[in-house]
Amino acid sequence: MIRMSSMPISEEVMKMSKNDLLLEVKDLYTSYGRIPMLMDVSFRLREGEICTILGANGAGKTTLVKTILGMVKADQGTITFLDKDITNLPTHKRVAGGIQVSSAETGTFPKMTVEKNLRLGAYNIDDKNLLAERLEEAYESFPVLKERLQQKAGTLSGGERTMLALARAYINKPALLIMDEPSLGLAPIVVDEVFRIVKRLNQENGMSIMLVEQNVVKSLGVSDYGYIIQKGQIIFEGSPDEIRDSAILDNPVMS
Amino acid sequence: MKKNKLLDSPFAVIFCNLILFLLIYFTVMSEYMISLAIIAAVIIAILVVNRFDLINKIFDLYIRHKKTALISALVLGILYPFSLTDNVYVAHIATLAVIYGIACLGLNFQMGSTDMTNFAPAAFMGIGAYTVGIFTVKMGFNPWLGMLAGVVFSGVFGFLIGLPTLKTKGYYLSLVTMAIQLAFTELVRVWPYVGGDDGMSGVQRYKLFGFELYKRYTIFGIRMSPQIPYLLLCIVFLVICTYIAMRVYFSRTGIAMNTVAQDEIAAMCMGMNVSRTKLFAFVIGGMYCGLAGALFVGLEGYVGPATYNFQKSLMLICMVILGGMDNSIGVVLGAFVLAIITEKTRDFADFQQLIYGAVLVIMLIVRPDGIIPWRVRNHDLITKRKPKILERFKPEEDIAEKAQLKAEV
Repeated sequence: MIRMSSMPISEEVMKMSKNDLLLEVKDLYTSYGRIPMLMDVSFRLREGEICTILGANGAGKTTLVKTILGMVKADQGTITFLDKDITNLPTHKRVAGGIQVSSAETGTFPKMTVEKNLRLGAYNIDDKNLLAERLEEAYESFPVLKERLQQKAGTLSGGERTMLALARAYINKPALLIMDEPSLGLAPIVVDEVFRIVKRLNQENGMSIMLVEQNVVKSLGVSDYGYIIQKGQIIFEGSPDEIRDSAILDNPVMS
Repeated sequence: MKKNKLLDSPFAVIFCNLILFLLIYFTVMSEYMISLAIIAAVIIAILVVNRFDLINKIFDLYIRHKKTALISALVLGILYPFSLTDNVYVAHIATLAVIYGIACLGLNFQMGSTDMTNFAPAAFMGIGAYTVGIFTVKMGFNPWLGMLAGVVFSGVFGFLIGLPTLKTKGYYLSLVTMAIQLAFTELVRVWPYVGGDDGMSGVQRYKLFGFELYKRYTIFGIRMSPQIPYLLLCIVFLVICTYIAMRVYFSRTGIAMNTVAQDEIAAMCMGMNVSRTKLFAFVIGGMYCGLAGALFVGLEGYVGPATYNFQKSLMLICMVILGGMDNSIGVVLGAFVLAIITEKTRDFADFQQLIYGAVLVIMLIVRPDGIIPWRVRNHDLITKRKPKILERFKPEEDIAEKAQLKAEV
């Protein structure tokens, strides 16, 4: 297999000012015990863009997310977020710093109502009025949730739960929103809705989003830039068109 | 309408407190058969009443009229010991129940709120008790100093246990604490300095401004049993401890604890400091148990390894489960009920464990969450006080500005 991540960085990337760079991961190595999970992963995410990380099961996508969040320690390499080296920061400081994640794993609290779930997400908001305002905004953006405020999160459908996780991250207005497989286990029509919301969050709120997905067609449809990860390595990067054109997706493992 | 108004008034809180105290009074005072019958009746009544969600309503009431509840509880609590007059045995049980209540509040921080089953509360109690013992018997210090040191030491011990157990979860954490409990009992048993198997007797009792707390007094011509002043002291401590526990319950830390219990990863993702929260639960729980141990010594005047063994730990755990996890009031109630049952069935010690076990099994079948169970915290209270917020790398306004710029282009 050809390794293409070491290819010269495109001119466009070179041109971009340092201020525009939101997240930069450089030469990242991560392992679980003696099993290497990520090898020499480098990627960049600019402010205001949707960046997709594509990969099959077991490619190391979730490990990458966990490393960025600090739940798994990086063996080597650096993670820079908004010009700050966050490689050795604990998770809660990264979250407070402006990274939010919504994923199946960090899920919702099934025994609590939707409203309490949302309020818990606002743990780092110190102003009562601001919180009320944000909740109102969230209800507007996610009308599905407004109807179910007093319902236990455990009784929601899969799509609604994904919306709840998204809304919870949205309340904090993060600088970077990481979405770990939002389409996992959802009906196609719900997946469309989720991606519509992702696009809207990006366009209307200027939220930078890192989308970690298996669904190639849908995620390339909304994103500005993409990386393909396989067996813990970035094997390809480029704009959605470049990825579509390349033969890399014809590989049966990837599709 | 009128009824609702009455139910909402502070008088209802006082009334509830009064009923509660009368029940406790009669249960403690009467013969074992009658008191067991009262306990059974109360539990059945609670089960029936719960159909109408009344317990939650009463609990809400208590929260709304916090001050009234606290003051009336304190007044009744102070009056209560005098009603026991010279019944030494009953006074002893009542004091034990109150002390166990304090220990259970401590254990509840770990077991109930943060969902870390700690099998070593008796070890924490033992540290408090042995510190008082060593300070008074071996070093000749004031017992109050011993109590203070005991609380601090058990807090430090909680921190030391908490550190290595941060990475273990569930059963493994329980196993670690179980090992610590067994090691503690074994250590004090073989350590000659603290008396080994015999323990230390003649521990100095607490005195308050030269006023002996363990002595028979005659008030209004009625001769009181010697524990009465001490019981008063314990009740004051219990009320203070309950108040602190409630404050923690409704604080940001309390909410973080509750979140950690449900889902650690999610808690991290919401920006909660999981390690700090767990350590806090261990330290404050340890301090509560240490205080309970220090008070225990004052009652018995003796410290020995048999008092702080694994069985005592199990009993405390059962109290928390019986009363209701993660609920300060429920836990104290559970401690009272089980302490009274244990002491009342002492007459037929052969069957004591059996009755004790039967109560638990029945409770776990008919009401697995305990008498007053777990409730979702009121999250409106999070932002009541201005909390310390961690640094945000980039203010939100900048992001919004960028978005606007992007939209214009």
